[in-house]
Amino acid sequence: MSEAADADATSGVAEGASPTDEEAVLRTDGVTKRFGGLTAVDGVDIEVHSGEIVGLIGPNGAGKSTLFNCITGTLSADEGRVFLRGRDVTGRPEYEIARAGLGRMFQETRVFGEMSVRKNLLVAAQEGGAGVGSLLRRPDDRLLDRVDELLAYVDLGGLADVRAGRLSFGQQKLVEFAMELMAEPDLLLMDEPAGGINPSMLENLIEYIRRANEDEDATIFLIEHNMDFVMEIADRIYVLAHGERIADGTPAEIQNDQRVLDAYLGRE
Amino acid sequence: MSTGSEEGGALRSILPPSRVDDLFGFCGDHAWALLGVGAVVGTLPPVFGLREGYYMTVLTEMYLFAILALSWDLVGGQTGYPSFGNMAFFGIGAYTTAILVKDVGIAFPVAMVGAGLVAVGFASVIGIAVLRLRGHYFAIATLGVLLAAQQVSRVLDITGGASGKILLDVPPGTAFYYLFFGLLIVEMGLVYYLSNTRFGFVLNAIRDDEEKATAMGFNTTYYKTAAWMLAALFTGAAGGGYSLFNTFIDPQTAYNGAWNVELIAMALIGGTGTVAGPVIGAFGLHTIIEIVETAFVGWQLVILGAAVIVTVVGFPKGVVGSLGEYAGEMEYYKRGGMAAGGGEAASDPEAEPEVEAGE
Repeated sequence: MSEAADADATSGVAEGASPTDEEAVLRTDGVTKRFGGLTAVDGVDIEVHSGEIVGLIGPNGAGKSTLFNCITGTLSADEGRVFLRGRDVTGRPEYEIARAGLGRMFQETRVFGEMSVRKNLLVAAQEGGAGVGSLLRRPDDRLLDRVDELLAYVDLGGLADVRAGRLSFGQQKLVEFAMELMAEPDLLLMDEPAGGINPSMLENLIEYIRRANEDEDATIFLIEHNMDFVMEIADRIYVLAHGERIADGTPAEIQNDQRVLDAYLGRE
Repeated sequence: MSTGSEEGGALRSILPPSRVDDLFGFCGDHAWALLGVGAVVGTLPPVFGLREGYYMTVLTEMYLFAILALSWDLVGGQTGYPSFGNMAFFGIGAYTTAILVKDVGIAFPVAMVGAGLVAVGFASVIGIAVLRLRGHYFAIATLGVLLAAQQVSRVLDITGGASGKILLDVPPGTAFYYLFFGLLIVEMGLVYYLSNTRFGFVLNAIRDDEEKATAMGFNTTYYKTAAWMLAALFTGAAGGGYSLFNTFIDPQTAYNGAWNVELIAMALIGGTGTVAGPVIGAFGLHTIIEIVETAFVGWQLVILGAAVIVTVVGFPKGVVGSLGEYAGEMEYYKRGGMAAGGGEAASDPEAEPEVEAGE
């Protein structure tokens, strides 16, 4: 954690670069979304490979969340295609895309407030799919052990039976993160994971995300406004402005990219 | 909301939260045994001579309302879709049995199963349409379904039109006592079992945040419809029993809008989203209504309204829910948030004890 952001990012690229020859976990091909006369996302191509942490940055209104919504199926793209592990999921219903291996953490933290933390994680488990048999059985010991393991992992072990709505905001964020790990998605989309949490919690979160990436092979694609955070954690970064992809590269490259600086400073 | 540390000091000393917590723990650990004991106790009154008369009828109706309230809660409480149209299933079940027994000549038990199945079929068709709506829109649409079903039965010949159907040659009172009681026990067991499966968790997840549940890969329409059909099965079967129990069925009694309000009140008062809550609410409120009906004729709806207001304002989570809250109020503090994890979190200068998040 004391390493300089640049050094860290370089090592990350080396790791992320190795599995490029296999099919990308996520690939978007010219995704475009218009709202009336406004083109919110304009022909964006993105690739995320297995084991990578990829950042998506851009000024407010750049189309980041809209792009996320097009990927998850919450919105349907006007043009372009979305592939998950090579499978075309464009236009599929949201729940089907999620089941195909896409996890999502929302910008505003969302847990199931009236349910205990343990049940939040149990409902998140994707194992056994939506088959009637697995749904009508009680969760087995292996699943329960996995819940304990993940809660211990995010240091919430003592709160398993507390109503999730009673937890603090930062803790709910961790519960949501543990829920996503429980689901073991091929790709996890995180919309501003660092938003609204205090600096010490942020340090923890970085650690958890990195460990999930290394130990659980979680592939992560995240939107972030906190530049220190995204520069430290991401292997590669895409930059959106006015719906267009204006740059991509390692954190070091992005930090020195004139177009990115212009976009953030409002110059065309 | 208040943490309740000042008020209720006397209650606190007589019944400390830990005691209530123990009670909840005991009920959770021995739920099946308790249900079994309840089942045995419930079979006793007729054995000890209570075979007919006022109290027999009151008890039987109590079980009937408990079935209706528990069925309502499956969708209204567990899944968060408050329906004002559950009595449509009841009415369809009631008419199905009446027609099958009187006009077709099918045996009563078979007709009652048929009533449940017809209600399920109706629910599956209606559910796909109305379960897309949320909140107020869902409530209004289900009310519309109830009124439409009532109107249809008023017009058709097969249902006897506005004058309804009279059913003679009905089984004795004890048969209905055991019928409704058995149905209630089966339903309680089933709902309790389901509430501990992932199916039950998904229903609760839909109640808490349906969009999140969708984003997690659940086709929520499918789960909502399944819960709705299960509710229709029990409500329809109960209606099927009721038409013969009552020996008479007409559009007003079969699709009784006031009952629909009553059974919602029962679930709310007892505590939605639990198994015991709607049953306790049904027993309690029906007892109150019976007392009021005999002692203060004509005031029952006023009392009902007052009971709902007191519950919603004073105990928004109902008897069981409020007790649960009371029992668990110290849980979060006892386990101490982040500090509970120990390890590395404990070494952090944790600037985050804002424990009021949920309250």
